[in-house]
Amino acid sequence: MPALILNGLKILFLVLIFLFLWQVGLAIRSHIGTGPSLKRSRGGHELVLLRGDAKKGRTIRLRPSGHTIGRSAEADVVIDDPYASELHARVETHDGGTLVHDLGSTNGTYVNGRRITAPTPVGRGDTVQIGKTILEVR
Amino acid sequence: MTRNTEAMLVLAGATLASLGAAMVGFAEGRWLDATVALTFVSFALAFGSIHVAFRMWAPNANPLLLPIATFLAAIGSTEILRLDPDLAALQRWWLVLAGAAAAGTVWLLRSSGIAVLRRYRYLFLSAATVLLLLPLLPASWPIYGAVVNGSRLWVRIDLPLAGRVLSFQPGEIAKVLLTIFLASYLADRSEAMSTVSRKVGPFQIPEPRHLGPIVVAAGAAFVVLIYQRDLGASLLLFALFVGMLYAATGRGFYLGTGLFLVTIAGGAAYAMFDHVRVRISAWIHPFADYTGAGYQTAQGLFAMGSGSLTGSGVGLGRPDLIPAATTDFIFAAVAEELGLAGSVAIIVAYAFLVTVGFGIALRSRDRFRKYLAAGLTILIGVQSFLIIAGIVRLFPITGITLPFMSYGGSSLLASALIVALLGRISHEEQT
Repeated sequence: MPALILNGLKILFLVLIFLFLWQVGLAIRSHIGTGPSLKRSRGGHELVLLRGDAKKGRTIRLRPSGHTIGRSAEADVVIDDPYASELHARVETHDGGTLVHDLGSTNGTYVNGRRITAPTPVGRGDTVQIGKTILEVR
Repeated sequence: MTRNTEAMLVLAGATLASLGAAMVGFAEGRWLDATVALTFVSFALAFGSIHVAFRMWAPNANPLLLPIATFLAAIGSTEILRLDPDLAALQRWWLVLAGAAAAGTVWLLRSSGIAVLRRYRYLFLSAATVLLLLPLLPASWPIYGAVVNGSRLWVRIDLPLAGRVLSFQPGEIAKVLLTIFLASYLADRSEAMSTVSRKVGPFQIPEPRHLGPIVVAAGAAFVVLIYQRDLGASLLLFALFVGMLYAATGRGFYLGTGLFLVTIAGGAAYAMFDHVRVRISAWIHPFADYTGAGYQTAQGLFAMGSGSLTGSGVGLGRPDLIPAATTDFIFAAVAEELGLAGSVAIIVAYAFLVTVGFGIALRSRDRFRKYLAAGLTILIGVQSFLIIAGIVRLFPITGITLPFMSYGGSSLLASALIVALLGRISHEEQT
């Protein structure tokens, strides 16, 4: 078998390999855009720390039993923030909806920049401010 | 629609495999022979049966898993055929069997769904433990462990039929079972493990009792390393545990601790075991002991170097000079005969597979399915990374198979099962 033909075959094989991968790549790209992950429901199930002294991007998964948030070691979620009260706020999940309660904190709890006076429902994209710490529902 | 795309791409993959077989024939001076047809038939049977199973029992499964698997197996089988036609004939049987097992798995889970696996987690854990310990059985038993290349990870069974010996690597199946166990365990406990409860200095750490699993993981990996002398499997298991903990909790603390423990264990292993020291010195100075410990690594480097950009052409290089070229070092053999172009294609294919796998994990709403998809993807990703990194001297040689490509029934079976499970998980997400 002449070397020329074998070399041609080799190149043909490599071209076919990359054509195949190209097709798969195209399919992956079209697949990524149409996933159900983009059709999000309004209820969030985690809190992500956006701004504060603690590590950014820290994620707290919301659980049905709820969390207390505060500076005290007894809080379920401890935040290192001098402007937060010992037990500052409570986050609860009911039937897929999430409620934020202020636990009589000194500096108040803010949802989307407004100080709350009663338990306030929050959904994906809302921010919760405790002291100088800002959390986002995702 | 997408299922038809999958069928086309699987068919294209099978065609690539038979084209490869034809090239091997040409290079050896034969015109088209039966091997070409047999290769096509085995690929069509193996991947076709998984495709049909998806079509019938998991119609919304991700259509990209199977084509990528077919592609990798096609390149692998070409190189195996070129190196050893007898092994290639066996590999065709393994392919068909693995395909049948994967299709059977899809069938088994057709109505109960993947969730049924969650209930039997301790059964899977015990089965995995037994499988991992099997190679330690004494040689006088009918089922016995065997030492191959210094690692005790093989099990042989003397069949009463014609005195044949059947050998397999139980660790390959054990890792899949362990992944199912871990996904189930973490699905129940990840909340507790991700909530921060205390601070030590700048570190926020979870409750000490939640550290149990990671310590057990390190211990298990270390035991495998000591008794079976298998660096690859122990690293793979440990990476699986740590990776899944991270995926489940999203806390970098586990990654950091894992890295710390693996460094300590690595240092201890280096100090305690000769075979680890030999591996490390062969990695750093492969040419210092060219005829001895460094031979395999050095031959792999020569092979890749002579492959250059587009390779020597299938059947025209000398990959037969690399030890274990059909199994662990198949990447070096492909790099020699298809060059940088072919090896990049393989790495891209693994990257695609990992992308698709993590995509499935990210889309899953159910925790068990999410963690299982992530774990199975970590297995494929870490395993292919470890062995390719070993061959290109980014990392010491670990001696594990390249999923879908290496010769070996146990490895193919495990890889096909992973595809079946990932397919089923993606199917449940779409419905």
